[in-house]
Amino acid sequence: MANHDDHAVEALPPTPGERATGFIKRNDVARTIGLFVAYTAIFIILGKYFYPKWMPTIMSKEMKSAETIMIWFTYISAPIAGIVLSVATNSFLNAHRGDTPPPDGPAIRTNGPIVVLWTVGSLLFTIVAIVWGLLEVNSQAVAAANDAKSAITVEVTGSQWLWTFNYPAQGIETHDLNLPVGVPVIFDVKSADVNHSFWPVQLGIKVDANAQVTTVIHTTPTMVGAIEVKCAELCGLYHAYMETNGAVMSKTDFNAWVTAQGGHTA
Amino acid sequence: MSTLDKAPASARPVPNPKRSLITRLHMGTGVVVGVIFALAAYYGLHSLYTTYTDKVADPLSSHDNNIVLLGAMLSWSVGFMVGIGAFIGPWRWLIGKDLTDEEILYLAGDGQGTKRYFKYCTDHKVVGIQYLVGVMTMLGVGGTMAMMIRTNLARPGAHFVTPVVYNSLVGLHGITMIIAMIIVATGPFGNYIMPIMIGAYDMAFPRLNALSWWVLFTAIPVLCSAWFLGGIPTGWTAYAPLSTQAGPGMNSFIATIIIFAVSTAVAGMNITTTVVAMRTKGMKWNRVPIFVIGATISVALAIPAFPTFMLAMVQTGLDRTFNTGFFDANMGGSGWLYANLFWIMGHPEVYVILIPGVAALMEIAPVFVRKPLFSYNAAILGFAGIAGLSVLVWAHHMYLAGWAPSLNGPFMVTTEMISIPTGLLFLVLIGTIWRGKPWLKLPMLSVFAFIWDFLIGGITGIYLSDVPADNYLHGSMFVTAHFHFTLMGAALTGAIGGLAYWYPKMTGRMLNERAGYISFWLVQIGFNVLFFGMFMAGAEGQPRRVIDYAAFYKNSNLVSTIGAYSVGIGMIVLLWAVIHSWNKGKVAPMNPWGAKTLEWTVPYPVPLTNFDELPIITSDPYGYGKGK
Amino acid sequence: MSADTEFRVHHDSDAAVGRRERLGVRLLIVADGSFLFGMIFSYFYLRNLNNNGGWLPKGVHHYSISSAWQVAIPFVIAAISHRLGQENKQTRNLTSIVTFVVLLVGGYLQWKQMAHMPFLLTDDGGVVSFNGAYASNWVLMAGSGLFHYFLGSFIALGILIRNRTTDLPHELDLWRQRVVQSWFTWCAIAAVLTALTLSVI
Ligand code: HEM
Ligand SMILES: [Cu+2]
Ligand SMILES: [Cu+2]
Repeated sequence: MANHDDHAVEALPPTPGERATGFIKRNDVARTIGLFVAYTAIFIILGKYFYPKWMPTIMSKEMKSAETIMIWFTYISAPIAGIVLSVATNSFLNAHRGDTPPPDGPAIRTNGPIVVLWTVGSLLFTIVAIVWGLLEVNSQAVAAANDAKSAITVEVTGSQWLWTFNYPAQGIETHDLNLPVGVPVIFDVKSADVNHSFWPVQLGIKVDANAQVTTVIHTTPTMVGAIEVKCAELCGLYHAYMETNGAVMSKTDFNAWVTAQGGHTA
Repeated sequence: MSTLDKAPASARPVPNPKRSLITRLHMGTGVVVGVIFALAAYYGLHSLYTTYTDKVADPLSSHDNNIVLLGAMLSWSVGFMVGIGAFIGPWRWLIGKDLTDEEILYLAGDGQGTKRYFKYCTDHKVVGIQYLVGVMTMLGVGGTMAMMIRTNLARPGAHFVTPVVYNSLVGLHGITMIIAMIIVATGPFGNYIMPIMIGAYDMAFPRLNALSWWVLFTAIPVLCSAWFLGGIPTGWTAYAPLSTQAGPGMNSFIATIIIFAVSTAVAGMNITTTVVAMRTKGMKWNRVPIFVIGATISVALAIPAFPTFMLAMVQTGLDRTFNTGFFDANMGGSGWLYANLFWIMGHPEVYVILIPGVAALMEIAPVFVRKPLFSYNAAILGFAGIAGLSVLVWAHHMYLAGWAPSLNGPFMVTTEMISIPTGLLFLVLIGTIWRGKPWLKLPMLSVFAFIWDFLIGGITGIYLSDVPADNYLHGSMFVTAHFHFTLMGAALTGAIGGLAYWYPKMTGRMLNERAGYISFWLVQIGFNVLFFGMFMAGAEGQPRRVIDYAAFYKNSNLVSTIGAYSVGIGMIVLLWAVIHSWNKGKVAPMNPWGAKTLEWTVPYPVPLTNFDELPIITSDPYGYGKGK
Repeated sequence: MSADTEFRVHHDSDAAVGRRERLGVRLLIVADGSFLFGMIFSYFYLRNLNNNGGWLPKGVHHYSISSAWQVAIPFVIAAISHRLGQENKQTRNLTSIVTFVVLLVGGYLQWKQMAHMPFLLTDDGGVVSFNGAYASNWVLMAGSGLFHYFLGSFIALGILIRNRTTDLPHELDLWRQRVVQSWFTWCAIAAVLTALTLSVI
């Protein structure tokens, strides 16, 4: 590769070190490297600010881990995006215009080491993503199991186009979802008709509501504040309006609310 | 089955199939017979099955009404095929009077001018043009619906359409686009160009080729009829039990998919056989143009994939007509069964859409940078790896369905592994353009656009494949933005690149360049704005398929709609360019791009048999470049 | 191109045509196989799920195992009989009749079963519905079996007639028989797989 046109041919065979510096000093290579740094930086910045800026308040561990994954996967994708985009941009800047084809370029049919390197690179990338995901899935499952005893249970029923929440231990049924902060909660979700998907947005969890079967999800709200509950599965005419509000509140507030609803606190 | 070849004029048989039935049939007779069949089925079934309709509250969505409508729709399709003469061949086979050479020639449209575009014509070039026009029509209709969706979403408050109409718009936009995109490259280019590329006189099964197009054609009015039957409420995924509960428009959806599945099975089998068995002398597997490889892998993947969609639709149809209980929990059925069958088709299907588009760009890039394709083997490995893995990942669409939480881990593993072959596709493209001086014609611009769009689609896909992130993102606008980056940004961009590239061969004219550039930038910039806005809306927590949203989401949605209009205008410009240049464009030379594949060695109009004598191949078509 | 006819039909070698057609049929078998796989999947999925005890609700009759095989055996016989007549036009005069008749009988049996399904429910309004998921799966599999018999009879009839009226070159004739054989063998396998499935009630 060292005998590129716009590069002087040396008289003496270059040492590997010289070849490497020669390669890097080549115009197009230098430009590509510059572009690579810039693109990588752009993606990292995008990852750092885009999701925190646009995603809603983080009110549970699950929500936190969703956001962290989006940020970190952007980080680790950034160099790959950097390579791809810098090569593309470099070539784009070299464009040939006019009505006749450009002169032929170098006849590079393949490059074994590069192909291997690239494959190994994407393999590593994939392994990181997989391992990260599996560990996270596992830790959520473990948390769910550990919290089972101390958790409060909310039975969620989706029906066209309304959410109903039943707190069996407290003996109340409502249409807004209120939860005590710091207490694990288990949602038993089902549907009275077609499929819905129960999505308390700020808690970062979601599960389908199916007819005649109960699906279960778990979380622990970590901070006090308002939450929205939406339906994330097309369920017919008023799917868009199948939403309701709720709140994560302090334990005393929660107990007061339960009592006001006519329920009993433990 | 026989193909055609060129013979000295003296040797030709005197054509006189004049009085035979074959010469009298065309699209018009097809429509007439189709309508007769449909009416017969309608009234026949009506008299058999109306006994109870008056007893149910809503006769329109009664089971009996569904029987009548589904029966009429499917009969229309069969009737049309009868009326256009599709069954003449099988019938003649049955009675032992095979078609004569003369009749085969007639069916190939020999000497019939533009009339053959409206006949059961077996010439692969005619079928290619039919597919091209069909695809553009569908994209136009689907695009118009997209504009209506975005108009409605421009501001909160759902000022534009009612919920019934909105849900139908989303669903019909989705399915129209999906159907159009499945055939967008393999239909026009796979039929018109590919047989020439491999040096064949025609496809392996010319009559089945005509069949695949005309069967597909019968699905178009059926799908349109959904509008007049109250629309569909389910989106393109048609999940049960929403679909079993849906009104009569759902029948149109079911019939469309059943008809379409027949068409793709036949087309996929035909293209695969042609490539495997009809390559010209010397075209060993390592000399086959990459587009041919990609298109073949794509259609071969469709062969096992689509029947499960057809099955899911047959089951939905049975639930809706004869009261079976496949998806009815009260009768021992389950909506999860539907979701499984649907996605066993559904995930391979997205690669059926993607691969030919990428392959077209891989065909284009070497020509415009005048360098060999970088690592042909990596390209094939990439396609094959994607196709192979794609049948093992379907349940990533069901992570949060509650179906089998314990399988989330395994499905996450298979899904993420697709990044590896996908990475190879990127490597091939950037390896090819590295150190080249790209000739910035329209086809080449598409390569650059693809790289950006598919990169964004790919990275966001990695979030979605990770269960903890999908916990938040699933069912939101983020997903919608992600899959548009892959389906539209990657596959459609690839197909438009292919159109610009092969247009001269298919029409004999150059595509208007200035209009092409204007359209390109309007579409690409608009597209990125549009779906960037949608990423924001998704990250903010707006669910997909919603007619209305809280004021909180208004900025991101407005951004989306502005981008959408830019795409819309750009597409209209492209449409104008295609139509205008077809008549008035600059006459194209035989090989305007200086490419080395075989289709550029034949003149326009391409002779009926493509080649006087089949060429012999001695190398792959990527012998560009100096040195080495 | 001018309207001038200067093309003629190009006949590839018989073996090339034959091989091509066989590949085509095999690919269609893949498609049909995927459909069958889906049906078997549905059957066992719903059986194992037994949602609300709805697989075979109490008191619902089902078809016996032997009746499942009753409609599978004819296709196996037809495939064998076609195979016997494959090589030789003389033998085929007889075997093609056997194949055709056996397929008709198989189709008739299938039809008869469908006409007397034991698991239908009729409500007051007269609306008929299927009782349970087993019943739903059964009718779908029966319908697809009927379709195979219909198509098979058409092909068998063609072979029967063509054997007497057409005179193909031996090589091509042989290939065409093999192509049909591929399809018949597949249908026989499909019939057996279906019967096996329906044997697990
Ligand atoms: C003009 C460009 C396009 C625009 C403005 C557009 C816009 C949209 C919008 C707004 C939605 C509904 C989003 C939602 O509420 O979930 C949608 C859905 C969809 N679009 Fe597009 N789209 C375009 C092109 C395409 C293309 C080329 C495809 C190719 C396959 C496509 C496939 C789909 C699918 C499959 C859906 C999902 C439908 C459903 O949820 O059932 N779109 N599109
Ligand atoms: Cu909903
Ligand atoms: Cu998928």
